[in-house]
Amino acid sequence: MTGPIGQLAGRHPSDHDDADRLVLERVAGGELAALEELYDRYRTMAYSIALRITTDASLAEDVVQEAFLGAWRNAGRYVEGRGSVKTWLLAIVHHRAVDAIRRRRPTTELPEREDIPPPGLTLPDLWGEVAADLDRDAVQAALATLSPVQRQAIEYAYFGGLTQQEIALRTNTPLGTVKSRMRLGLLAMRRALVGEGGTSALDGSNDAIREIAR
Amino acid sequence: MTCDQARDYAPAFVLGALERDDEAAVRQHLATCPGPHPEFLELGEVVPALAESVELVEPPPSLRGRIMAAAAADLAERQNAPSPLVPSALVGRVSTRSARPTGGRPRFAWAFGIAAVLAIAALGAWNVSLRSELDAASAYRQAVAQVLAVAAEPGSHTAVLSSRADPNRAGLAAIGADGSIHVVMRGLAPTTDGHVYEAWIIAGSGPPTPIGSFTVGSDGTGAIFTTGPGAAGVTVALTLESAPGATTPTLPIISSGVASQT
Repeated sequence: MTGPIGQLAGRHPSDHDDADRLVLERVAGGELAALEELYDRYRTMAYSIALRITTDASLAEDVVQEAFLGAWRNAGRYVEGRGSVKTWLLAIVHHRAVDAIRRRRPTTELPEREDIPPPGLTLPDLWGEVAADLDRDAVQAALATLSPVQRQAIEYAYFGGLTQQEIALRTNTPLGTVKSRMRLGLLAMRRALVGEGGTSALDGSNDAIREIAR
Repeated sequence: MTCDQARDYAPAFVLGALERDDEAAVRQHLATCPGPHPEFLELGEVVPALAESVELVEPPPSLRGRIMAAAAADLAERQNAPSPLVPSALVGRVSTRSARPTGGRPRFAWAFGIAAVLAIAALGAWNVSLRSELDAASAYRQAVAQVLAVAAEPGSHTAVLSSRADPNRAGLAAIGADGSIHVVMRGLAPTTDGHVYEAWIIAGSGPPTPIGSFTVGSDGTGAIFTTGPGAAGVTVALTLESAPGATTPTLPIISSGVASQT
């Protein structure tokens, strides 16, 4: 653990990040061995996230495969400064896992598996990250500072793959309240992880946001 | 979408809790809006930390092989090189198994002999000094390795696919104990004009069931992995069809073999 709770932790690229970027450059160049290296670095995190979201080992494997293939095909689209390679990769895993479980739910209108647009079209957004090398204990501690309803709203959203409307229905709560809980919960996590004065990439102008949303 | 609506959506957006079309509308707004939207960074920067809260679980060892085989197939496709095409969509359905038989001497030396012949024949046909060709050869070898891994498993069945018309046109199919079917072929004529090779299984006197199709490049190799259902005694057959999705085979049968216990 390198980032105790409350540490002011503007994002500074670590040596680890540099090494990841070099690997990703080789992946972008079509080097299979580099993909294998990337897989070995992040297979455990990727699979763990996919499993947590899908709660199905076989589906989680499919998600991880789709995500690494997405990374393989789109490595050239990774933009430095929007987050580490790790965050980029895990965001792809998260996005794919949520799509996978939503596809299983009868109420959603996702296309059939065969009609999914090519992976490049659905890369998730990245907003940077508050701190490098957070560990599980630090994040658990930050989550523990949330109220139970805030934590529940965030977990339903991020790990449950529910939309905000679905969370409102599931918890029998007005939609506006769900939005507030997610917002206040994220802000509380932020305070816990970077402290009151933590700014990280927030110093960036609106141009940065447009660039991210591009 | 107005700025206020975008702000209202921000927490759900960064958590991925919007319908995908609402998500696209927010993204569109952010890309063009002159107004300030610091809330997206403020909220979104925290989200990657959530991923760190999960309990760590190792994926099964077989997942690496699946991913690497699919990437190799993708590379071959991308390079439009001699392309042993392992359709990545089908590779995705491969059930879990190890990429190589584990431990001890393989029970079926003959199968490995066939594999060696397939691999060498494929390599010999190429000038492998080019990187792209090496990668294509590597994808083919991976497909062969996968078929052999299944063939070496207890309860599996194997069919040697042969052709009377052309002895070079040959292949190996392995049917796993779980019914999954793995086929690798070489010596096929390259496909053109949207044609595909379609693989079928025929059980007893039942109708042929299509199990997947693939195209073939100048190297003449191809592979199919599917969850099946295959079983002992089925015939595995290959036909050339004018388009994917055939429901009845167009004769003649290019190559076929009967699955027997290995």
